[in-house]
Amino acid sequence: MCETQAFFPGTGICKELEDHALLLWLTQEGAESLNRSFHVLEYCRVSSMASAPTSKYNSHSLENESIKRTSRDGVNRDLSEAVPRLPGETRITDKEVIYICPFNGPIKGRVYITNYRLYLRSLETDSALILDVPLGVISRIEKMGGATSRGENSYGLDITCKDMRNLRFALKQEGHSRRDMFEILTRYAFPLAHSLPIFAFLNEEKFNVDGWTVYNPVEEYRRQGLPNHHWRITFINKCYELCDTYPALLVVPYRASDDDLRRVATFRSRNRIPVLSWIHPENKTVIVRCSQPLVGMSGKRNKDDEKYLDVIRETNRQISKLTIYDARPNVNAVANKATGGGYESDDAYHNAELFFLDIHNIHVMRESLKKVKDIVYPNVEESHWLSSLESTHWLEHIKLVLTGAIQVADKVSSGKSSVLVHCSDGWDRTAQLTSLAMLMLDSFYRSIEGFEILVQKEWISFGHKFASRIGHGDKNHADADRSPIFLQFIDCVWQMSKQFPTAFEFNERFLITILDHLYSCRFGTFLYNCESAREKQKVTERTISLWSLINSNKDKFKNPFYTKEINRVLYPVASMRHLELWVNYYIRWNPRIKQQQPNPVEQRYVELLALRDEYIQRLEELQLASSAKLSDPSTSPSGPSQMMPHVHTHF
Amino acid sequence: MLNQLSHPGAPATIFCNRGLLNSCPAGVASCPASSCPFRSPRSPRLTLRESVLLLGPRPTTDGMEFSELIRTGRAQAKLLRGPEAPPLRGTLCVTGHHLLLSPGPQATSDLWLLLLRRVDSIEKRVSGDSGTITLRCKDLRVLQLDIEGVEATLDIARSIEALSSLESVITSFPFFYRPKGLRLGDAWHFHPPERYYKRVARETNAWRLSEVNEDFSLCPSYPRAVIVPRAVDDDALARCARFRQGGRFPVLSYHHAPSGTVLLRSSQPLTGPQKRRCAEDEELLRAALAGARPGARGFILDTRSAQAAKQARVTGGGTEAKAAYPGWKRLHRPLERGWPLQESFVRLVEACGDLEQSMDRWLSQLEACHWLAHVKEALSTACLAAQGVGREGACVLVHGAEGTDSTLLVTSLAQLILDPSSRTMAGFQELVEREWIQAGHPFQLRCAHSAFSHARPKHEAPTFLLFLDCVWQLGRQFPLSLEFGEGLLLALFEHAYASPFGTFLCSSEKERCLCEVRTRTHSLWSGLNQPKEQRKLRNPLYVPSPLAIWPSVELQTLRLWQGLFLRWIRPPEPSEVAWEKVWQIVTDKKTEGCEPTVSASEPRL
Repeated sequence: MCETQAFFPGTGICKELEDHALLLWLTQEGAESLNRSFHVLEYCRVSSMASAPTSKYNSHSLENESIKRTSRDGVNRDLSEAVPRLPGETRITDKEVIYICPFNGPIKGRVYITNYRLYLRSLETDSALILDVPLGVISRIEKMGGATSRGENSYGLDITCKDMRNLRFALKQEGHSRRDMFEILTRYAFPLAHSLPIFAFLNEEKFNVDGWTVYNPVEEYRRQGLPNHHWRITFINKCYELCDTYPALLVVPYRASDDDLRRVATFRSRNRIPVLSWIHPENKTVIVRCSQPLVGMSGKRNKDDEKYLDVIRETNRQISKLTIYDARPNVNAVANKATGGGYESDDAYHNAELFFLDIHNIHVMRESLKKVKDIVYPNVEESHWLSSLESTHWLEHIKLVLTGAIQVADKVSSGKSSVLVHCSDGWDRTAQLTSLAMLMLDSFYRSIEGFEILVQKEWISFGHKFASRIGHGDKNHADADRSPIFLQFIDCVWQMSKQFPTAFEFNERFLITILDHLYSCRFGTFLYNCESAREKQKVTERTISLWSLINSNKDKFKNPFYTKEINRVLYPVASMRHLELWVNYYIRWNPRIKQQQPNPVEQRYVELLALRDEYIQRLEELQLASSAKLSDPSTSPSGPSQMMPHVHTHF
Repeated sequence: MLNQLSHPGAPATIFCNRGLLNSCPAGVASCPASSCPFRSPRSPRLTLRESVLLLGPRPTTDGMEFSELIRTGRAQAKLLRGPEAPPLRGTLCVTGHHLLLSPGPQATSDLWLLLLRRVDSIEKRVSGDSGTITLRCKDLRVLQLDIEGVEATLDIARSIEALSSLESVITSFPFFYRPKGLRLGDAWHFHPPERYYKRVARETNAWRLSEVNEDFSLCPSYPRAVIVPRAVDDDALARCARFRQGGRFPVLSYHHAPSGTVLLRSSQPLTGPQKRRCAEDEELLRAALAGARPGARGFILDTRSAQAAKQARVTGGGTEAKAAYPGWKRLHRPLERGWPLQESFVRLVEACGDLEQSMDRWLSQLEACHWLAHVKEALSTACLAAQGVGREGACVLVHGAEGTDSTLLVTSLAQLILDPSSRTMAGFQELVEREWIQAGHPFQLRCAHSAFSHARPKHEAPTFLLFLDCVWQLGRQFPLSLEFGEGLLLALFEHAYASPFGTFLCSSEKERCLCEVRTRTHSLWSGLNQPKEQRKLRNPLYVPSPLAIWPSVELQTLRLWQGLFLRWIRPPEPSEVAWEKVWQIVTDKKTEGCEPTVSASEPRL
């Protein structure tokens, strides 16, 4: 093997690979058929435009924008439709405007504003364009031009959205016509500044499933086989006294007393002590998450913290060292000492090995995404697309996050060592790393409900600061706390789903829907920074969960190629060669990236899903039949030791 | 893959058959009447190139013995096949056409063998009492052989070098390949272009099949059957041929039934600096428009820039003058060809194989290769041609200079976009046969070397690979629309560069006739259409659709074809596993439902 390696050095990090081409099928899902024009021949836009599958509005769907066009037969279905409204949504105003579409030029339309959305419908006969934008998506509203500006369509509003687009509306210059629109939009898009409730609290939608019941921490830990004789569930944080950004329920080493925990908390940034995220069903190695130790300039030490980490190490006897992954670049970790933070030094933690994963902070990520937007909206950078993409460093950041997560997963699975992950506060990069590693290790999280639980657990309950990072209902668009950390995580998940087309129960639409509602404020799922704040606001009583929407309409979000495999560990390839820009998300507003054919992809996928279900059902029947024959239990083939295939990895 | 050798285990066998060599072209009488052009009254004139094809570069009286080129019988060696496959140990032998590694009596694994023509470049290194040979293959695979003995290493390297670079066609392996289960002569009739041309002639009444090129005298790179406007007679064709480079007068490439218009292809007109004209050529194009429908317009799509087309006049070429062809409008869409295209391919393969380098610069490295830009240009030009025919109701004539490279790229891609039948397994094979092989794409020259060769490049260009890449991009954008999958495209790539089958041999139908390819080698189509190959080649998700597929040609939607360019850099195994899973999901039900499945690969008669 080593000879082979010498001959083909550095061929990617992992061995588990999937065919890329196959994966690519999945991206086609939901591809709307939109026009591609080839410019030279005289060519009439409207006549040859294929009609897009018009997604009729229903209370279960959210289409942020669907550009619909009249087809050759001239039928325009949308004009007769009423403006969609959710239960609890109230109409505020409407106005005639000109929507300056960056792709097709100015389009006259009527805009309807409710307390939830901005809805625009074209008034031109040859265009059936519809914009349906939840106000939560808006990050900034600016006035463009003044009352005396010259030039056509120079006076109006420019709306910057959090989902990679800008909307520009031109209005009539006479009589301050934009003033009321500006004020109403500002009021309802940024309710926090106007002491108004976020729409999620007004939403009266009814679903036949309650998404809030999806995640029950006790059940989830029980699924992992916890508590056991090394790990216990503690309620020490029941009233969020130990750590106000942690969940009420924590899993800690059996041998650490509550007093120990309190002492450790004093040495960890924001009291975010090391607690268990995931335990390997066989090795009993664990992923533990926390924040940085408060070492400071003087290099402080804390005996309790050192002892605590040693206790964690001892819960697993296979290896003599505990592995600590500090997500930050080395220099940043050192720099953090100046503000009282730092990292675990060798001399203080003898039985630990520390690695830095070189993932940059929230500010770097925000700027990187900004650059991505610059090259994809409104116009896609044409001449040097790939090098422009490279200069955004977005994919490089994705690579680093994935590489880090792969190392964590590999250490726990193949390296048989327990792992402690932290960054500075342990709610951004740490959440990315632990959740991605868990996704690689535990096939349960690759199902729809499993993924919901993963997000609910590692992100929502462990205090990823959604409110600060997204800025729900907040007008401070330049807030330095905002950062696309969660988007980056979803991007990594998408990259994985591309590399393993049959490993995930959900499809691309599922991921895009999650991202859309990350901003929409229609559901309570992503509101607030931590569990204690959510409890104070009674979010689960007063709002609806996003998972209610998804779980009551699961088929839409299913991957027809999903093949359930228990305990298969996925190691994606985190090489730049195998990563790609998620075009269907980042450039989705641009019709030029879509291919044109009334493609029956969705229909076909629905058929495939049905086929698959029947197939699985038949398989189960056969298994039942054969197990009835083989009633002798001693011949049962699947002992627990066979459940976990051994996966080699080399770094 | 396909069994490449019918008689394994015979080290250093000499496959050369002197009788065969002697029989042609001198022994005209022994040529079967059906395939040999030399029974026509006109006597064959062999060009130097053609005699090299037959006899190889060294003129010998009694043919050539492979044994002269094989310097050593055998050696002990270890073979490394990439990061995933375990190394193989055994006895290495060089035979006339293959490199064999026999793992020895006690080993369980099979004989490993490599077609020597597949070797693109060879590198030897000796140290101590052993040596290392690195073989870079035309399918982009890199192999390493660790061989015991310095002498043996050098001998084997020299033998491989000599045998892999033989130019003679009729001593190549396809002439000796006799796989079990296939009969010689089978499948050569699978996709004759005549069938398509006859159908068009019947349906339109404006086109006819001409036998004017029966003996390849009018145009050596055209097949015997050509389809031309009914209104133009054979004498006029002869004059047209003299007005077009290489005799490639405008012929029908595709008839778009819904609009009645046609796609034509040709080579550049020989207007020269004096801006010569040719009445017959003008008449031919006029007749093409008239045959479509009264008042139809035409577009001449020149695959060179306007300036390059103008410059071609200096060397006797040129482009159609506006005044001479009323109703036709000229468009220029420069496509890269020849050496720059080959260079782009070489650089891309280099970048893909460059694993030492830091990956931070991968995207700009990829961009600097320009390969994806070529894909984009090819696809958008094909879209333009397809748009002219399918949407504008116009006739489109495509040509560049010689009309054997970028021209075929455009016409074949345009058909894939427009014509649902060319997206089936059989239809696509027919398209490759008609628009590439029969249309005279010089495979022998273009695919003589792949991306690794250090040999001085002569006529190499990956035009056909570019076509396959574009098809792959179409398949990626329309996952349900192609009946075939990546497997078929990979197979075509492999076989175009080196193959045990005769399909991609030679550069024109004339040469294939001369070498009796049809009677003495097996057709690739018969190999590919064997039932056991089907799962690898077919797309499990295929649903026939009667519509045109208009791809997005933005760089953002194009991808590097990892399945080809990174094929040997990552392990292929799991991809096949995933593919198989999808097949299971799709087919296990189909067979259950007792749905009669019509195999599209069966020849439609």
